[in-house]
Amino acid sequence: MAMKYLDKYPKKFRGTGGIRPILRVLRTMIKTTLHRPVTILYPYEKEWIPDNYRGRPGLRFDRCIGCGICMRACPTTCITMVDAEDDDGKIVKRPQVNVGRCMMCGYCAEYCPVDAMTTTPDYELAEFTRKDMIYDPRRLAFEGTTEMMEVHLEEHLQSNLDKGIEDKPTAFFDTDRPVLDDDLCIGCSKCAKVCPTSAIEMVVVGQNAKGRDIKRPKLDSTKCVCCENCVIDCPKDALKIEEVL
Amino acid sequence: MSELSRTGYHTDKMWVTMGPQHPFSHGLWTLRVKVDGEYILDAEPEVGYLHRGWEKECENRTYAKIIPMADRLCYSASMTWSHLYCKVAEEALDVEVPERAQYLRVVADEICRIQSHLMWLAALGTDLGNLTIFLWCLREREFFLDLNVRLCGQRLTTNYPRIGGVRNDMPYYFERDCMRVVDRFENSLWDIINLTDESSVFVSRLKGISYLTKKQVANLGITGPAMRGCGVDYDVRRDDPYAAYDKLDFEVPVLKDGDAYARYRVRVEEMFQSCEIIRQAFNALQKIPKTAPYRLKVSKKIPAGTHMAHIEDPRGDALMYLVSDGSGSPYRLKVRSPVFVNVSASKAMLDGCRVADIPAVMAMIDMCLGETDR
Ligand code: SF4
Ligand code: SF4
Repeated sequence: MAMKYLDKYPKKFRGTGGIRPILRVLRTMIKTTLHRPVTILYPYEKEWIPDNYRGRPGLRFDRCIGCGICMRACPTTCITMVDAEDDDGKIVKRPQVNVGRCMMCGYCAEYCPVDAMTTTPDYELAEFTRKDMIYDPRRLAFEGTTEMMEVHLEEHLQSNLDKGIEDKPTAFFDTDRPVLDDDLCIGCSKCAKVCPTSAIEMVVVGQNAKGRDIKRPKLDSTKCVCCENCVIDCPKDALKIEEVL
Repeated sequence: MSELSRTGYHTDKMWVTMGPQHPFSHGLWTLRVKVDGEYILDAEPEVGYLHRGWEKECENRTYAKIIPMADRLCYSASMTWSHLYCKVAEEALDVEVPERAQYLRVVADEICRIQSHLMWLAALGTDLGNLTIFLWCLREREFFLDLNVRLCGQRLTTNYPRIGGVRNDMPYYFERDCMRVVDRFENSLWDIINLTDESSVFVSRLKGISYLTKKQVANLGITGPAMRGCGVDYDVRRDDPYAAYDKLDFEVPVLKDGDAYARYRVRVEEMFQSCEIIRQAFNALQKIPKTAPYRLKVSKKIPAGTHMAHIEDPRGDALMYLVSDGSGSPYRLKVRSPVFVNVSASKAMLDGCRVADIPAVMAMIDMCLGETDR
């Protein structure tokens, strides 16, 4: 390896009478004059941007399961879960984004377990009032969402790599699951109520001294997306997320 | 400059405040200089106008949420800062980043270094009154920002490294685009050099001012290209290698002259070396299968302890010190910003210079207030 610039410069001779500097300047001048303009007339012409451009987040309403992972992943807490009416008129929870506060980090799209949230190439977001910057779930929809706008979380487990398995990318919503501390659980069924995917079912495991049923949550691992709603809402902190690494 | 000739002007010594809004300052900071006629006797930088409480704000965020914040430490070196943050978290978690991610990080870091140096050269051009340099440098820089868009979706706030890897693999067209940009850039950088090194006005503004000795550099803690222009042969990429830098072959430009012109030349050569590093990194990436892992799953919590990491920022030796208490957010995250230390040496740098030299001298530390004030 050699130095490219330091070997050439500074030049020994830099007299004012030399013809070379003048020729160089002329050559550069002709080159730049013949070059087509490098600027564009912005509002009329726009630069091409790739599909994976990280503009405002966009939501595919029907795919969303209302788990709230995006809300908790957002660094600027600009997402709130609001009640919205789905196509059948049922009230469901869906994310609402305050785009005025959004820093276009793309975390919401990255962590969404069902790829309902995507990044979009929409960057012209100016509005007249700050209230207009709050995008409700329906307004978040983006026409022409393509596959490139989805951000996939493709993580590898260290334990898999140690075993030589390199072709099984996974994500936290595939592997991490809540586990129950049986002694702390009071059987209040709160976790079953907040679970967005109905992965938790309360089952009767026995009867206490007064003859009442003792209920314990039973997790359907295939449905769970590790949204931590149950962990956060548990009044006795009986649930913990078990991380698989 | 002897005391006698300085006072020979029969003028009172006075303090002049330059900034916070001043064309030379490239951000909000104040340089107070004590002048005697045209000569500078003393200088005092005042920073803090942009203090955002960055370090404190990190303490109530989870580890993952700090990555986009680390981008915002410096607008033109966002990739290296978020890389640094990920590196310190990886050191704390004791995970090894997959090879593919390491090379991708090298590519991203070098793109960041080139575009940051181009921003610096552009600013130096305007400081010295040559607007053509500014326009040409920004024209070239735009291509590198476009590469950032291809790679991770944003021009400046890249949010690309992740704890345990990178956000996404490069798209299939990235290598082609990157090679085109680098090849093109190497040619057009010579055009820009025609404007600078071939111009005796430009060179004479930089040559022979602001001499620093090796000893001064060591005592003042100056790092980065400003240090290498003074004859100190140290580069974190080579001497304490991180990511895949130990597998790459590149030169660290070091000049013994110690004046502002030497610092300028070190930076220009660094841009050429970065192009070479990008080429080599892509050669290595081709040998790694496309399906190879690029991101590891890491724990959300970091075990209690203290950890430190440093990397070569375009501006110098950037360091982060993490104190974790075993929870999901840091107990303390200390940032050592190279510019903050370099700017504190402004008295030594400006000693004996004239007022008109101030922009040229201070441009050589490539001021960035975002990381200085934090
Ligand atoms: S993370 Fe995805 S599925 Fe969950 S609430 Fe947000 S958009 Fe809906
Ligand atoms: S892009 Fe980032 S800041 Fe914006 S809503 Fe999504 S997570 Fe929040």
